[in-house]
Amino acid sequence: MLIETFYRQIGSEIVTNKSFKFSMAVYKLHYFDNPRRGHAELSRLILSQAGVPFEDVRFPHSEWPNMKPTTPFGQVPILEVNGQMLAQSNAIARYLARQHGLAGKDDWEQAQTDMYIENINDLLNAVAVPFVEKDPAKQKEMYGKFMTETIAFHVVAVEKQLKKNNTGYLVGDRLTAADLAYYALFSDFIEVKFGGAFLKDAPLLKSLLVRVRTSPNVKKWIDFRNSKYYPDGNE
Amino acid sequence: MPQYKLHYFNLHGMGELPRMIFHYAGVPFEDVRFEPSEWPQLKANMPFGQVPVLELDGKLLSQSYAIARYIARQHGLAGQGDWEQAQVDMYADCIKDFMINGRPVHDEQDPEKQKVLMTKFASEKLIPHMAVLEAQLAKNGGVLVGKGVTWADIACYAFFNHATVKHPDILKDSPNMAALVSQIGSNDNIKKYLETRPAYH
Repeated sequence: MLIETFYRQIGSEIVTNKSFKFSMAVYKLHYFDNPRRGHAELSRLILSQAGVPFEDVRFPHSEWPNMKPTTPFGQVPILEVNGQMLAQSNAIARYLARQHGLAGKDDWEQAQTDMYIENINDLLNAVAVPFVEKDPAKQKEMYGKFMTETIAFHVVAVEKQLKKNNTGYLVGDRLTAADLAYYALFSDFIEVKFGGAFLKDAPLLKSLLVRVRTSPNVKKWIDFRNSKYYPDGNE
Repeated sequence: MPQYKLHYFNLHGMGELPRMIFHYAGVPFEDVRFEPSEWPQLKANMPFGQVPVLELDGKLLSQSYAIARYIARQHGLAGQGDWEQAQVDMYADCIKDFMINGRPVHDEQDPEKQKVLMTKFASEKLIPHMAVLEAQLAKNGGVLVGKGVTWADIACYAFFNHATVKHPDILKDSPNMAALVSQIGSNDNIKKYLETRPAYH
């Protein structure tokens, strides 16, 4: 058997491969089995859009006490790459986007992609507050306020940026992790939580979400994901 | 050298990290500060109605951590290579979590409620994650990632420099973090900045 040593540059790192078989980084993404999207979904979308295979590990909550001490911050998602671990959902998403051409084509575009991912993070944190509210009447009021104040304002702002950028995408002239991040959260809002009325005055954002949803690799992932993990049709 | 303008309130808050990265890197920038009373007029100019905003050649970037990451990357403070940069992001996000989760605690007016929130925040987030940072510093020779200071270390400095004003004991069980904070604080540029920085509020 021939053993060849060759060097492949990944970013500015040098990886030594001693094998006659070309080997890529092997990704294992670890998350709970429930929620079925949660903080891992953006990374799943990025990997799927990039056409990169990954092991989509979903473990039951009962396994968490054993797993927790093995993770850097006692949290998931975790990305395992060739035995090394990376925590923090946005750090993971950002890393995967950069490795696979979905982070913008230069530093400034990457910064804008970051900005949009951080926007989504803020909205996720904001909606988490009513999400955990136990009193149903109070929860309804909080969700209502979230929609009419926070989301309404944000949708106007994003629509303005989309108009200004004038490519149909949030950053540059092609799909990036920024678009995937907005799709991940807003599709959850539309399909699971609030319906689509809040987008009635945002045609550009509305059509971006459709564009992402019907983009071939994303569509393939969503169809697969829905049939495998949401057989009951729910989130 | 690019012409940077950083827009933020005349406060520490989320603007302080980008400022400190500029100072640490020795990169000149216009530190535009405004009072809360001026904000209503300025808000409409900001892409997402928020600050800090980085202005560069007429282009605007919001989100303090996107700004921090961008400046750090432009000026060699982001880590070497993509994996290291991801690790730096991870530790920086830990500090961001402290700020986000600490906010409702800080804002709570009722002292009894605040005590409950503080205990929850400390036991669920602050203490366990500070222990993770402390262990990493011990393992990695005094900085969080790689061989030199990165913006994750500066984020720790910005956070604890602010936190120790109201909570002077916060680092009592974290000698490595205390040493890092002291190290960053004794950087000449940071020292000079602190001499002229408006007082804590």
